[in-house]
Amino acid sequence: MSVNIPTAREAGLVACTRCGLVHERSTARCTRCDSRLQSRDTRSLQRVWAWWAAGLIAFIPANIYPMLLTSTLGSTTQSTILAGVVELWAHGDPPIAIIVFLASIVIPVGKFLAIGFLAAAAHRRRFMSLHAQHRLFEVVEFVGRWSMIDVFVVAILASLVQFNLVATVNPGIAAICFALSVAFTMQAALAFDPRIIWDD
Amino acid sequence: MTDTPPPGPAEMEIRPPRRRVWQRISIIWLVPLVALAIAVGVAVKSYSSRGTLIRITFQNASGIEAGQTALRYRDVTIGAVESVGFAPDLGKVIVSVRVADDIAQYIDREAEFWVVRPEVSVRGISGLDTVLSGAYLAGNWDNIPTEEQSEFEGLEVPPLQSQNGTTITLELRDGNQISAGAPIIYKGIEVGNVGTPQLNEDGTTVLLDAVIRAPYDRMLTTNTRFWDASGFNISVGTGGLQLDVRSLASLIEGGIIFDTIVSGGEPIQPGQDFFVFEDESDARSSVFTSGSKLELPLSMVLDGSIEGLSEGAEVRYKGATIGRVTDLGTIAETDPETPSIRMLINLEIDVNKLGLSEMATVDEARDFVATLVRQDNLRARLATASLFTGSLMVELVEQPDADPATLDVDYQPFPMIPAAPAEITEFQTTAQGVINRIGGLPVEELMQAAIGALNSVQVLAGDPETRRVPSEAASLLADVRAVLTGDSVTGTLSNLNTTTDSLRRIAQQLEDGQAVANLVSAIQKANTTLTGVESASVEFPQIAQQLRQLAATANGLQIQQLADSADSLLQSADGLLSNPDTQRVPGAVSDALSEVARVLAEVREGGAIGNVNEAISAAEQAANSINLAAQDLPALADRASRILDQAGTTVSGYGSDSRFNVELVTALRSLQDAATAVTSLARSIQRNPNSLLLGR
Repeated sequence: MSVNIPTAREAGLVACTRCGLVHERSTARCTRCDSRLQSRDTRSLQRVWAWWAAGLIAFIPANIYPMLLTSTLGSTTQSTILAGVVELWAHGDPPIAIIVFLASIVIPVGKFLAIGFLAAAAHRRRFMSLHAQHRLFEVVEFVGRWSMIDVFVVAILASLVQFNLVATVNPGIAAICFALSVAFTMQAALAFDPRIIWDD
Repeated sequence: MTDTPPPGPAEMEIRPPRRRVWQRISIIWLVPLVALAIAVGVAVKSYSSRGTLIRITFQNASGIEAGQTALRYRDVTIGAVESVGFAPDLGKVIVSVRVADDIAQYIDREAEFWVVRPEVSVRGISGLDTVLSGAYLAGNWDNIPTEEQSEFEGLEVPPLQSQNGTTITLELRDGNQISAGAPIIYKGIEVGNVGTPQLNEDGTTVLLDAVIRAPYDRMLTTNTRFWDASGFNISVGTGGLQLDVRSLASLIEGGIIFDTIVSGGEPIQPGQDFFVFEDESDARSSVFTSGSKLELPLSMVLDGSIEGLSEGAEVRYKGATIGRVTDLGTIAETDPETPSIRMLINLEIDVNKLGLSEMATVDEARDFVATLVRQDNLRARLATASLFTGSLMVELVEQPDADPATLDVDYQPFPMIPAAPAEITEFQTTAQGVINRIGGLPVEELMQAAIGALNSVQVLAGDPETRRVPSEAASLLADVRAVLTGDSVTGTLSNLNTTTDSLRRIAQQLEDGQAVANLVSAIQKANTTLTGVESASVEFPQIAQQLRQLAATANGLQIQQLADSADSLLQSADGLLSNPDTQRVPGAVSDALSEVARVLAEVREGGAIGNVNEAISAAEQAANSINLAAQDLPALADRASRILDQAGTTVSGYGSDSRFNVELVTALRSLQDAATAVTSLARSIQRNPNSLLLGR
């Protein structure tokens, strides 16, 4: 990979992050969309870390508390995410177990790692090339919206399975925590200013 | 680019104003802070409210699931099972339960836990709600918070619900008819339940916890008696066959009935002990003894058969049941000379039924029995309990004649009471005994006596002499009648009067028992007559002379020779009578003479006792006739009077001390005695006919 890539900042330019119009560096607002122009978001990393921490805090109860409260004929089953995965696997549904595992455990954890890595390793290329970092950020940003799959499943089940005594599904507190966690990590991903990857 | 500095003046270094630390921190940091605060808050709250962990050990954890099984107190969920694990040696299951803190303070040492599972029994279905919800843990404890405890031993069976009632302890001899949950019945109403039967410490009795529900527990006093109503009861009595089944449940599970038989008992304390009697009659008969059963075990050893004796057979003393046979066995006598097998019978004597005080111990009872054995010769023996079945019982009897013996206190297994020979009455033997007793009655003697008496009567009646008495009397009457109707009589009423007087006098004399005097006077009269005849009939001077001589001779005779003299007198008289001249004497005199002849003849024949009557009557008749004749013949009478004097002298010569007289008197007395005996016999028979049968 070529090493020396010129940046807009070096060229004395600044691009609007919303509409992409390039202005002189001294320009305060975009002449086209009137959004604020910043060559570099100086507080980006702070915001990333703040959302990242909040997401992590929310992620812990999401895994400790039960996700689903299933009442079948008077017996109530509380299952956490991991217990649900184990149960699904034990009951002979490995594909679904894998899907749930990926969506609920692997991806969120991966997101935390990825965002943390990007925020910590910005404009360093010790572990990963700058291009790879950028690509990683795009993946994180893309995957973020699919992380809510668990919450969607719980919401759908809770609204559909309401048969009183026979079978009832209620969302557990972990569902809310998980949703919050996903939201916070998405915010963290959004707060990240990918341009700082390229700064030396 | 940097190596070619731009032209122009050097760019002024412009630095943004250095902002303070808090100005450089984004407000976004509030989000994780809030999240953290919430998380910490929730964590702290959930930690603080997670409750107290208690650990309950069970034999197994059937139906218990971690995280699901609830702990309930009075059917309110107060906690949940957190984990189910094992004790270090895998011997038990440890169930860890989180209990709400506000309740946990009440869970102290008395707390008990058990698992509620659906249960189907003969009395119904319980715990039905657990069919769907699964088993749950239930706990019970009092409402006084004392020292908290976290380690508990779980109960394998639900305890009795004692919240609304009184808990008592029942003591049974045998628990095989009682199962947990069996009903307690009072006047036919189920008022409580029993718990699981357990053995007491020394294993002699079965203990049952039981609960009498309020308000029925007010019926319990210290005088309450419990008895076993398990199964059914068949009794055969005067009312016929009775089948008594209390309830289906008690038939299968057993049941216990109680009743307060006498009033005046003290109210009971919870946990009071009661003994459960085997049946109602036992319970009722125990009112005046204490309910606690102290048993004195005894052994007895027998040589004979114990067939018919069974375990549980009664031990009686003077008819009262005081114990029972506990077991039967054999012991080997290994004496090399006389090896034998003897029968061992173990008994249990109810100490209270011996009449000892309630405080008496078994040892005291044993000493008491030992004293009885030593002093009163108390012995145990087999006796017939039922005549029909031939079953046996053990009887304690006092046998004063028995050889001295003592209670062998050191005998194993129990103190040995000396045995007495069995008194076994078999049915056949008894019947035989009745017959023997009947056979032993003095029937033979009675019959013999009766026969003898009848024979005597018959002989008496059949004796011609006896028969002759009436006939003689009849002839006497006939003679009297003939005299009365005679021509000689009719003319003279005065004569009749005299005769009647004479007869009456004679009869009176006879009645007065002066037979001897009568006889004497009759003989005198006969003599007089003879003299009179002699005097009247000048044709018989020799006879008169002979008579006079005879009289003189008799006068001089030895007493022993009286018979000979009488004989010759009689012969003379006979000769006189058979003299044809005599026939010419008027008829009355003739009759008199013939009567005298008969008297004389009979006297001559030996003077049989039986003939004395005749003699009397005959002499009497003769006297009457002679009297009559004498009145008809005054002159003859005068002479007869003279002869009479002579004869009287003659006879008086015999004197009262003459043997003849004595014999006559004796004979008459004998006869009189005989008559008296017959009379008294007749009277006795009449008065007490049984005496004939009884022979006395």
